[in-house]
Amino acid sequence: MQVYSIPNSIKKDSKFTFCKGCDHGVAIKIIAEIIDELNLRENTVAISSSGCSVLLYDFLDIDCLEAPHGRACAVATGVKRAHRAKGEEKFVFTYQGDGDFASIGLGESMHSALRGENITAICINNTNYGMTGGQMGPTSIMGQLTTTSPLGRNKEYHGFPIKTAEQIALCEGTKFSARVALYDVKNILKAKKTIKKAFECQLKNKGFSFVEILSSCPTNWKLSAQDSHKKIAEELTKIYPLDIFKDTIDD
Amino acid sequence: MIEKSLLKGNIAIARAALNCGCSCYFGYPITPQTEIGEFLSLEMQKRNLAYVCAESEIGAINMALGAASSGQKVMASSSSCAVALMQETLSYAASDELPIVLVNVMRAGPGQGYIYPSQGDYNQATIGGGNGDYKTIVLSPSSVQECIELTYKSFYLAQKYRNPVILLVDGLLGQMAEPATITQNPYPDIDTSSWRLDGAKDRPSRNIHSLEPNQNKLNQHVLKLYQKYQQIEQSEPDWEEYLCDDAEIILTAFGTMARSAKAICNHFREQGIKMGVFRPITLYPFPYKRLRELSFKAKYIIDIEMNMGQMLKDVRLGVLSNSQISFIGKPVGDWLKKEEIINAIKNIIKEQYASI
Repeated sequence: MQVYSIPNSIKKDSKFTFCKGCDHGVAIKIIAEIIDELNLRENTVAISSSGCSVLLYDFLDIDCLEAPHGRACAVATGVKRAHRAKGEEKFVFTYQGDGDFASIGLGESMHSALRGENITAICINNTNYGMTGGQMGPTSIMGQLTTTSPLGRNKEYHGFPIKTAEQIALCEGTKFSARVALYDVKNILKAKKTIKKAFECQLKNKGFSFVEILSSCPTNWKLSAQDSHKKIAEELTKIYPLDIFKDTIDD
Repeated sequence: MIEKSLLKGNIAIARAALNCGCSCYFGYPITPQTEIGEFLSLEMQKRNLAYVCAESEIGAINMALGAASSGQKVMASSSSCAVALMQETLSYAASDELPIVLVNVMRAGPGQGYIYPSQGDYNQATIGGGNGDYKTIVLSPSSVQECIELTYKSFYLAQKYRNPVILLVDGLLGQMAEPATITQNPYPDIDTSSWRLDGAKDRPSRNIHSLEPNQNKLNQHVLKLYQKYQQIEQSEPDWEEYLCDDAEIILTAFGTMARSAKAICNHFREQGIKMGVFRPITLYPFPYKRLRELSFKAKYIIDIEMNMGQMLKDVRLGVLSNSQISFIGKPVGDWLKKEEIINAIKNIIKEQYASI
């Protein structure tokens, strides 16, 4: 019989402070499980950024550093390189939202991928700016109603969204790029396996690894948790397909 | 005897950084500081140290922020309009209490301006353009030799106080070669093991962040930072006095402008006029107290800068006597000529010194 337990890398006194139905909790939990399974806790520095994702350090019982909005991949580059300068390899990953990674921070994100920086970036894509109350983000889909696209996102007026995992896969330095979702158990397990693979890419010193997580934002989507997951399964995955866009870890 | 060599300011800074154990450098090209990054690119790579030609100055300073969390000696360098891009992260570094040495070899502004000489970033450095209540230590060299010594001191103060330090260098000095000696770093290394992030091994996990949703905690955090700044203001003001003891006229100037001021002082001294030069070396903390003491004997305080009077307001804050405070300056271009300054001074002091 398997007894459920909280991962070692989750702080014992942490309380769930995200909105109800938000997928951040699941994402952080599976990351913590992977950190435990790969025995990384004592050798990891995690970088969070601005937005809901910044709260990572409230939950993970590992060394964490906060980056200014959008700069997580640059900060992670500095962390990784600095430890390497004294001959130590630390495991370094970022935990960012889609606005952070793909809008304000696209320059830092993409250049880290282009350089093949040996770090892992995890990007929570909930198709809006969650913490500020649901504004249109770089990933908001066509027709999406947000507080700054009240008539729906429109290509003539607002322009197109970014398919982050596909774009990052195009960079030569990227060795692994995938998109996963968390809307049911099967996908959670698949997401865990995928993130683990991205982490292993770094452990094998292969280069930049990236996982985009389609994630619910029930509060700003104004849907129940169940309907949010249904929206991801039936609507978002059509626009943002779940796939591994690049895996050249073993090349 | 320690040998002197002909050294350019930028190279002197880069060599001093290497010499005192700087293991991480991040930069992006901008004139007139580019030689720092060019020189370090090979030297750091040869030593397997961290060097990244960043995608932007924003990238560079944030790499420095990340590297600083490892407790090592970290430097970035840039110039004026590009240092403007880095201000956000300086505010973060101050709040996070992360030691970063940032070298600003100044060019002329505002905006892109040009690469002409100017001291236009005094305000940017000492007041700062980041948000919130924070302070950055600012050191100002006036010779290539002092570029070396103050580079050492920048790393030391950054780690001692866990605070960003700006080495504010005139473009003229960065580009100028003069005899100097690469001395040994006189400062001890600071133990960073109590706060650095290097994996939660045999200790509780640590996190470094500036976000604080609890208003009381945020309030306490800023108050704690200000206790540190108070200590810095008490312990670290540094300055040079030249013939100030009996001076009735005190010229105030920073950086290379202070060298001109000394030459001018000599000129007036030859005519029997009791003039001296007061040069702040730390622009933050500004040596208010000493300037205040000296000002009680002075009839005139004349501030000379290659800008429109940025240090002038600190001079005014320092001087509590009835001394007349005047300003001579020029924002951009060829350094003020000796004759121009002499004539301007004569004009200011003519009522009291009719003979000259």
